[in-house]
Amino acid sequence: MTTDTYVAGTGVLYRFDPRAKLLLMVLLCIWFFLPVSLAGAWLVVLGVIAAGVLSVGLRRMFRTFLTILPMLAFMILFIPFNVRSGEPLLVAGPVVLATREGLLQTLRLMSRFVGVTFVCALTIQSTPMGKIMLALRWYGLPYKASLVVSLAFRFIPFIADSFSQIKDSHRLRDPNIDEGKGRKGYRSKLGDMLPTLTSALVVSLRAVPSLAMSLEHRGFGLPGKRTSYHVLETSWRLFTDLFISTMIPVALWFLFAVR
Amino acid sequence: MSQKQGSSNKVALRLALVAILTAVTVVFTMIVRIPTTKGYINLGDVAICFTAFTFGPWSAFIAGGLGTALADLLSGYAQWAPISFIVHGVEALVIALLVRSRAGRDSAEAVVPLWRKILAGIAGMAIVAGGYFVGGGALISGFSVAAVEIPANLAQSGIGVVLGLAVSQAVRRAYPPVRSLSW
Amino acid sequence: MDGIVSITDMSFSYRDWLSSRADALCPPVLSHVDLALEDGSMTLILAPPDAGKTTLARILAGLIPKYMDGALSGTVMVDGHDLSKTEPWELVHCCGYVSQNPLDELIAPTCEDEIAFPLESLGMPRYEIIRHVRAALEAWGLVSMREASAQELSGGERKRLLLAVQDAVDPKVWILDESFDDLDVSWRERLMDRISSRSNTSVVFGSRYLDEFHGTFDRYGLLAGGRLSFGDEADIALEFERLCETPYAASASKSVPGFIPVSDAAGCGRSVMPLHVMEREGKEHRLSCTDVSAVHMRRSMVQERPFTLSVPRFSLLGGEVVSLCGPNGSGKSTFSRLLCGLDLPLAGTFSLDDDVASRTVLNRSVGYLFQNPDYQIFLPTVKEELAWSLKRAKIPQREIDRRVGECADLFHLDLDETPSTMSFGLRKSLQAATYYLLDRPFYILDELDSALTYATAFDLVNLLRHNGAGILLITHDRRFADALADRNYTISDGLLSEAEEGA
Repeated sequence: MTTDTYVAGTGVLYRFDPRAKLLLMVLLCIWFFLPVSLAGAWLVVLGVIAAGVLSVGLRRMFRTFLTILPMLAFMILFIPFNVRSGEPLLVAGPVVLATREGLLQTLRLMSRFVGVTFVCALTIQSTPMGKIMLALRWYGLPYKASLVVSLAFRFIPFIADSFSQIKDSHRLRDPNIDEGKGRKGYRSKLGDMLPTLTSALVVSLRAVPSLAMSLEHRGFGLPGKRTSYHVLETSWRLFTDLFISTMIPVALWFLFAVR
Repeated sequence: MSQKQGSSNKVALRLALVAILTAVTVVFTMIVRIPTTKGYINLGDVAICFTAFTFGPWSAFIAGGLGTALADLLSGYAQWAPISFIVHGVEALVIALLVRSRAGRDSAEAVVPLWRKILAGIAGMAIVAGGYFVGGGALISGFSVAAVEIPANLAQSGIGVVLGLAVSQAVRRAYPPVRSLSW
Repeated sequence: MDGIVSITDMSFSYRDWLSSRADALCPPVLSHVDLALEDGSMTLILAPPDAGKTTLARILAGLIPKYMDGALSGTVMVDGHDLSKTEPWELVHCCGYVSQNPLDELIAPTCEDEIAFPLESLGMPRYEIIRHVRAALEAWGLVSMREASAQELSGGERKRLLLAVQDAVDPKVWILDESFDDLDVSWRERLMDRISSRSNTSVVFGSRYLDEFHGTFDRYGLLAGGRLSFGDEADIALEFERLCETPYAASASKSVPGFIPVSDAAGCGRSVMPLHVMEREGKEHRLSCTDVSAVHMRRSMVQERPFTLSVPRFSLLGGEVVSLCGPNGSGKSTFSRLLCGLDLPLAGTFSLDDDVASRTVLNRSVGYLFQNPDYQIFLPTVKEELAWSLKRAKIPQREIDRRVGECADLFHLDLDETPSTMSFGLRKSLQAATYYLLDRPFYILDELDSALTYATAFDLVNLLRHNGAGILLITHDRRFADALADRNYTISDGLLSEAEEGA
């Protein structure tokens, strides 16, 4: 199981300050929900995709696209149910299959969905998790909250690894392995998971006191202010980057706003 | 020197508990999945309901919300993360509040009648299905697609409630020190 | 009350979770312990597994009873702090504890963050932290792994990382719990040099007496039966070996040179029971494979790509004990998983009694005892845990009760105890007992000896082979392998081969 969403690279996106990048991400996501022209929204989507192809590569972008493909298919399938009373576009006998308004609404929803997806995906693929946490702390996230996230990341591979070993271990112990495979109902399938889930939870919970001990043993709880080994450098670049992050959505708004 | 038991300052223990429950939620969400339109049906709700039935409201809220949001981020559904955080966080919070017993949790079997647990579970299911309908409908897919998701979300959270309840009982009995962890 | 550490008449008992009362206690783990350490001294305390060394170490670090419920009496003073009035974080500079199990201790996403964490807590300026982190990484050979996570490191690398953290903080007292285990010879020497510099007070807990320890420490102690005693090095070492290796006696298939049979068991020992080797019905089983290969994932990212493990020839007969030795990460677990049908090989097949064995057949014929016994524990009592598989196999209740009772007697288990709160040794016995009841023709025992006394490990092996099962012992301890096995296999450079007799 992977906990690493970062794709190493050197493009413009990578040189952009993470704090500015987070700001840009949030502003762009909001932008997609503003009253902008449909053509404008799709142009911006294309721009985001182009930026992505240039920084994390075509293959990555395609993989992200695959994760949203089923949802997109559903949205298209459901066009007939959107805005039933409108200018008929596709008619089968007495039944109106799609209306102009319905189609436009779906295109709007899809532009938002695809846009937001790629904006978020690009941000986390071009920024290491540690930097994202530092940026969030700069925006005021408390230390304890960022510690919880980083501890969770430390334990995800451990728990995932234990989980698969626990599953194997219960499999070897079960006298009815594969018996009646496929004929089992949902109920007994779920029941079969109970031992694995219980062991996995017990193994995980056993780690809680040791983790707490370890934290305090390493000085967590000391009253003084913590210093930080990793820092995000603050120079004039931060301000130019933050400025760019604000200006892009604002400019796009003036370009494509529907008045 | 006598017992130093119950040292007042247990911040580290709470942090550790929440962090590990968050990690458990992420693993349960990501390791077993059946693809659907919204991504996948998973066991994340089992972990959330387990947390809510076993521990206090706050650990449930953070672990449930953060865990599902991180799982969304890691599996490339970043746009769902904020919605998941709120929906599952509130689900866990509400369930935990409804089953909270007034007696100290350290008493061996906190006596919460089964009907209250089931009621809490149903409330949780309603929150998940309703939350995703409103959140997904307004922000992501439009209400017609979101409406189709309702049965899947109900099924997933229903499985979560049932298994979560069973696992919570099993863990309490199999690992008694769990009683000293809740807050 | 001179000296940097002084413990006077200290006893500790864990809370008894079986009772619903919050003040019920288990029998004491440590009773009336006295310990005084001079500044700059070096002390070796030998202790069999489960004798309470981790408990003692954690008490010294101020973590027990804060984090493990129980009752502590007596006084514990470390560097002028009365620990009953001290929070653990106040002891960062005084008392450093390096845990036996590194995965319990590691908290940061990467090696460098791990070393930086305590320094950040202490509020050290950033440029100082950078200097300390670099020095510690260099001193313990971790520079190339500075961005690796704990999960990606091998066992030995994790140990070194813990030592690097300790080195960077440099507390006055170093408590090293089995820190020599898993380290290569050169790193063991390095660690010995570090503590021999006497810039710190060090206490080393060990459950193996290594030749390297000879003559280097100021004092030698033995922690057993809840008591701590000191004495002459030779006496302590001898007494320790006696505790750990008794009562391994005539029950084994062959005599074991170097193991002193003592009929009167003491301390951690168990009583020897007569073994009747029952013949299996029908012929003896034979598990074998030829020309099998598999992809072996390395545990350490530093060692580049995964490589292929190849097994030209392997066989295991019913009734024999065969060992598989090799360093950590050499592919022992990869092979074990193939042998019990959890993974499929890239090429080649396994056969059972000359028929090709499918994964399901292997699943049912080969019991794999994972190193961690907790992977199987999920029920509240030993009795339910043992009966579970039998119930699944639809055996009548009366028969189940009989078999479970008999099995619990053999393995010295108390049917009403809660598995998850038993000692590691008992959990390991429980794991073996569940497989004993499954009655598989073959067993793989993964690092059985790693946290058990030799005596306990021998006992478990003998019980499991009582009715003619073939046993594959996975171990990195040659001595243990030689003592028990009829034949040896070794893994090196991705090749599994049978070792020459007497090699």
